[in-house]
Amino acid sequence: MLSLTIDFARRFARNRAALVGFALVILVIGVALAAPWLFPRNPLRIVGKPEIWPFVSSRYPLGTDSLGRDIAAMIAYGARTTLLIGVCASLTATIIGISVGATAAYFGGWVDELLMRFTELFQTIPNLIFVLTIVAILGQKIEYVTIAVGIVTWTPIARLTRAEFMSLRDREFVQACRAMGMGNLRIMFGEILPNALPPVIVLSSLVIAGAVLFESAVSFLGLGDPNVSSWGRLIGDGRTLIRSSWYICAVPGLAIMLTVLALNLVGDGLNDALNPKLRDR
Amino acid sequence: MRRIIIRRLLQIIPLILGVIVLNFMLIHLAPGSLFDVMTSEQQVTDPAMLDQLRHTYGVDQPTSVQLAKYIWSVMRLDLGFSYRQNAPVLDVILEQLPSTVILMLSATGIALLVGITAGVLASVKVNTIWDNLISLGAVFFFAAPSFWLGIMMTVLFAVKLGWFPVGGMRTIGSDQGTFGDALDVMHHLVLPATALGLFYAATYARVMRASMLEVFRLDFVRTARAKGLSRSRVVISHVMRNALLPIVTLLGLQLGTILGGSVVIEAVFSWPGIGSLLFDSVMSRNFPMVLGVLVLGSLLVAVSNAAVDLIYLRLDPRIRAR
Amino acid sequence: MAAIALAPSAPLLEIDKLEVSLFTRRGVLPAIDGLSLTVSAGETLAIVGESGCGKSLAALSVMRLLPEPPAKIVGGAIRFMGRDLAGLSDREMQRVRGKDISMIFQDPMTSLNPVITIGDQLIEAIRCHADVSRKEASNRAVEMLRRVRIPDAERRLNDYPHQMSGGMSQRVMIAMAIACGPKLLIADEPTTALDVTIQAQILDLMKDVQTDTGMGLIIITHDLGVVAETADRVVVMYAGRKVEEAPVEGLFERPLHRYTRGLLGATPSAQRQGDRLVEITGSVPALENLPTGCAFQNRCPDAFDRCRAERPVLKPLLPHRTAACFAAEEELSRDVAAIGS
Repeated sequence: MLSLTIDFARRFARNRAALVGFALVILVIGVALAAPWLFPRNPLRIVGKPEIWPFVSSRYPLGTDSLGRDIAAMIAYGARTTLLIGVCASLTATIIGISVGATAAYFGGWVDELLMRFTELFQTIPNLIFVLTIVAILGQKIEYVTIAVGIVTWTPIARLTRAEFMSLRDREFVQACRAMGMGNLRIMFGEILPNALPPVIVLSSLVIAGAVLFESAVSFLGLGDPNVSSWGRLIGDGRTLIRSSWYICAVPGLAIMLTVLALNLVGDGLNDALNPKLRDR
Repeated sequence: MRRIIIRRLLQIIPLILGVIVLNFMLIHLAPGSLFDVMTSEQQVTDPAMLDQLRHTYGVDQPTSVQLAKYIWSVMRLDLGFSYRQNAPVLDVILEQLPSTVILMLSATGIALLVGITAGVLASVKVNTIWDNLISLGAVFFFAAPSFWLGIMMTVLFAVKLGWFPVGGMRTIGSDQGTFGDALDVMHHLVLPATALGLFYAATYARVMRASMLEVFRLDFVRTARAKGLSRSRVVISHVMRNALLPIVTLLGLQLGTILGGSVVIEAVFSWPGIGSLLFDSVMSRNFPMVLGVLVLGSLLVAVSNAAVDLIYLRLDPRIRAR
Repeated sequence: MAAIALAPSAPLLEIDKLEVSLFTRRGVLPAIDGLSLTVSAGETLAIVGESGCGKSLAALSVMRLLPEPPAKIVGGAIRFMGRDLAGLSDREMQRVRGKDISMIFQDPMTSLNPVITIGDQLIEAIRCHADVSRKEASNRAVEMLRRVRIPDAERRLNDYPHQMSGGMSQRVMIAMAIACGPKLLIADEPTTALDVTIQAQILDLMKDVQTDTGMGLIIITHDLGVVAETADRVVVMYAGRKVEEAPVEGLFERPLHRYTRGLLGATPSAQRQGDRLVEITGSVPALENLPTGCAFQNRCPDAFDRCRAERPVLKPLLPHRTAACFAAEEELSRDVAAIGS
């Protein structure tokens, strides 16, 4: 197992793009963790003159917004929100997706049919519209946004889990467990799932990227939690000033893009490392 | 063939039923009585009207009856009444629908054109500087939020260069006849459609490149070369024909996302469509309208999905045989 | 036929010291090393050998359809009716493919485009080289399908490849290959993927077409039954080299190279029809570590010191026959000595 992990890490490390992505992800996580230490005061506090351009003042390296708030501080705190929502939403999606996919594949028959129709239903509903509806009905809280994003992103995970389970379901070790009288749940989650997990985890890491994009759209529209600083909201706030100070939109947008880019690169790298045969193509 | 089409169209019904049930559940999951929120937000105070509304939504009856009633009314395309616009929800949505469809179609068109061209180019020039540049571009556009791209494009092409209007769908007060009007709309359409389409273009470019490289290795490509066809002819009529199939599948899967994406883009460019309507309705807590958009949006996606499946059937004779 | 007047002895195709290398991560490997052969009009040449011996690469080299990378022609010449194909531009080569030289492949089921009708694929082949209308091309396509004995040809035009059996698909491939009246047809394992009963029909069909048109035919195979049934002359390849060449009767009567003997099941007089390759013990050495001396030494029952030290070259050992085998040389010289004494 250890040698397998090392092998995996080596294959991942050979992919230069994935390494760049990994470094960027570490950077974003670092900034998010260090935010209270780098900017000990409330980031939404007004600190100076409004609309100072980036790289002009050494005290506000990324400038200030229309109210005179420090953009660098808001970016750092925004990283916390973005990552938190991204990871939690992806976790929600993974839990729903694995449950649905595993149940469908394990029991097959009408259960499978029903759950796949259910999955199809969630693929049909225009996802962002659904998120906005949920947030509109439940209220603008960070938990609800997270759950809503999770609810619209689980379908690919369910499909992948189902496919993986299907291929494992009839293997000898599963039949041995059945013969030993193990319960369904224990076979599903104790025996099959660990074998099916690696590709699912890779997909989950890609779902984080999608969740970050969703969250940014929600808070850009002003439907995010009004009490936290978020990158999408920064863009939304800066929109009215694009004629004079377009950097207020540009900076957080770049932060979103680089984070999503980094997550995608890591996901692709993990994927390639999992399927070494595909790489040579 | 006709039977396949009918069967595929029939599959839409349970999906829509599911959406309706989901809608119903959302209403009931809401904290407090959604009905109260709705009536107070819309400032309905007239007791007679309250009674009528209570009856329409069946608040005074058991849940199962309410559900049946709700399904029945949606089936009859009665999505409720919007006091904000003072018109039936369906009418308001149908009025806004065409501009959203125009935006979606244009964005999809741009995505397909740019994505397929880039993907084919990258696969034909695989492992060259072209391939690398295209892959790099795809990675970036795949990560950029569409609304942010829209804003940045507005800054550059509308504010700084003045090539395109900042927002809206028509120049206010201009009257240039049908043709001039169409041109005017197209002029307004360029930025929003591109901003929305580039993300999908990036997806299609990646998929198309991989799919082309896959097809290049198949035996029939060698046969086509052995016939004496030129390289470009082989690429266009043999490799591309087959490599496009995954793109069609992807297109079907992403329709819902494109409709969702148009909501944000419409907000950025003040494009008068379903998205703007939804945004306003969410902001003013006009729930019949929000739920109506959700149902009709799902219907639109379900129907388009069926259409895409039928196109796929047309493109791949092997599926037809099954 | 607007044939160019050829001297009776001038071959249609002449491969001269062809060298093809594979450029891989493990280094540059000699996939074909100094292959020479000729085919004349109306003649059938069989190229025989185990998989990986370079026979398919040789065929693809003639068509200039080598999978590049990794394969690349690095030396030698391929002359078709006196013209060196290696020197042609891509555009000129396109006019040769399908018109002068055609090729059919091993697996007919994957060799046709699954999303295009049989008719369109045939018409495409015809219109590629002849300036005819779609209607004329369509008529000619029907004619071609009839010629390869496909029943109900008009209706079949609208069929897709998945609606046809393997045998039918190979007939379509042949129809497509001969549609423009090529002077040379290369068939790479044309019957390997087919049922035994269909195999004979396909071979018969190719021989019939050859009799009608007088085209040259190269059949690449590992099936000695196919060789016995169709070939006039045989080239045996091993590890990228030609190791023996002989008229078909002679080869079956007395195989010289020990590898050929192995192929024939070690029975020098085997001329039973349908003889398949008998497993030769041991395996083909990898191209990256070919031994000094004869490449077959590790599997050869008669190998001796010289075979390990020195690489045998092709020598004319009997009339019209060459072989690159020291054991055969020894044997023949003993025969001569026996006759002499």
